[in-house]
Amino acid sequence: MNRSIQKLLSITLVLLLSCASMFAQRGGGGTRTSVNGNANRNTNVNSNKNVNANINHNVNANVNRNVNVNVHNDVYVHGGYYGGGCCYHNNTAAVVAATAIVTAAVIGSRVNTLPPACSVVIVNGFTYQQCGSTWYQPQFVGTSTTYLVVAAPR
Amino acid sequence: MCKRLLCSIAILSFSLSLMAQSSSAPKNADIDPAAVAALNKMGTYLRTLGTFQVKSVQTTDDVLENGQTIQTNGVIELLAARPNRLRAEITSDELHRLFFYDGKNFTIYGQLVNYYATVPAPATIGELIDKLDEKYGIDMPLVDLFKWGSQSDSAKDITDAIDAGPSSIDGTSCEQYAFRQPGLDWQIWIQLGDYPLPRKLVLTTTDNSARPRHSQLLTWNLAPSFNDAAFTFDPPDGAQKIAIAEIKDWANDQSQTKTGSSK
Repeated sequence: MNRSIQKLLSITLVLLLSCASMFAQRGGGGTRTSVNGNANRNTNVNSNKNVNANINHNVNANVNRNVNVNVHNDVYVHGGYYGGGCCYHNNTAAVVAATAIVTAAVIGSRVNTLPPACSVVIVNGFTYQQCGSTWYQPQFVGTSTTYLVVAAPR
Repeated sequence: MCKRLLCSIAILSFSLSLMAQSSSAPKNADIDPAAVAALNKMGTYLRTLGTFQVKSVQTTDDVLENGQTIQTNGVIELLAARPNRLRAEITSDELHRLFFYDGKNFTIYGQLVNYYATVPAPATIGELIDKLDEKYGIDMPLVDLFKWGSQSDSAKDITDAIDAGPSSIDGTSCEQYAFRQPGLDWQIWIQLGDYPLPRKLVLTTTDNSARPRHSQLLTWNLAPSFNDAAFTFDPPDGAQKIAIAEIKDWANDQSQTKTGSSK
């Protein structure tokens, strides 16, 4: 009984925290940084893509910041990942980020940080990260780095 | 006969001028031709620069979901040798990136992550800018410096233009101008004298209710010293080669990411 209450409480806590984290996420993007940039071009009219990308980028920034602090060690071990920014000393966010990673390990999905304990494998000159049975291909998306979940290469 | 013709010409030209007034007069009234001329002069001058080095100390607002703006800082250092060599370094609160373009290849390198990606590049800086934007969704930093004075600049979008008067930037006499175009208000400080360079730029995104801002403070070196190695990427120890995702592959992945991360 106690245990199930505890479990319920911890689930509620995680939910609450993830809500809090969502509120803290950067939702905007959308700040023009050039007068003559994309807005001129048709590509940017399909800029739904760009706008979405920006939003994701901003969210990334936040997740990176959180994860940097908490998962530093892991992160450094495989390939010296350092997402930039710094330092919301906030354990709760790592819980949320970790949850996101676990649920995102579907082939074709992208994550912004790797789970712990991955190893670098080079296949055909390109870098992969093997984390347990899941393979990630680091990619630049715009100027951000992300990890695309892929089928095992070779 | 002659009189009638003259009369009808007079009526015609009168009605034409009425039409002109009703359609374009209100628009033109908001555009100071001198401000547009100053912008064009700057653009023409920028097009004459063969090699240049420019540093931008800049700020960009991020908009939180609640509409609050958070300002982030960044520095861009850019070295360009027209027509086909460029190097740029982006240092911001969020990332560090180096761009290399040697006329054959383009490389993006993340020093902190120690990842790089190289793709074949077109023959000129202008074409590279378009390719990076259209194919990879990568914005060339300080892209305006390459666009002003070219046919693809946004001069045609300007709806308001005013001369806001003299203003000093880093001790240099400038003239400040303010422009409006759909979705964007922007101000520019153009150096007075023989070198009409942009020295400061402030953009306000007006189609976002938070009206986020971006600013650039520009310092120029018109006689940079460099060698060819500056434009070619030489992977440091441990640097790992990765791919650049094309825009066409983003959308698919994104939807999956969304579901993934919201769970």
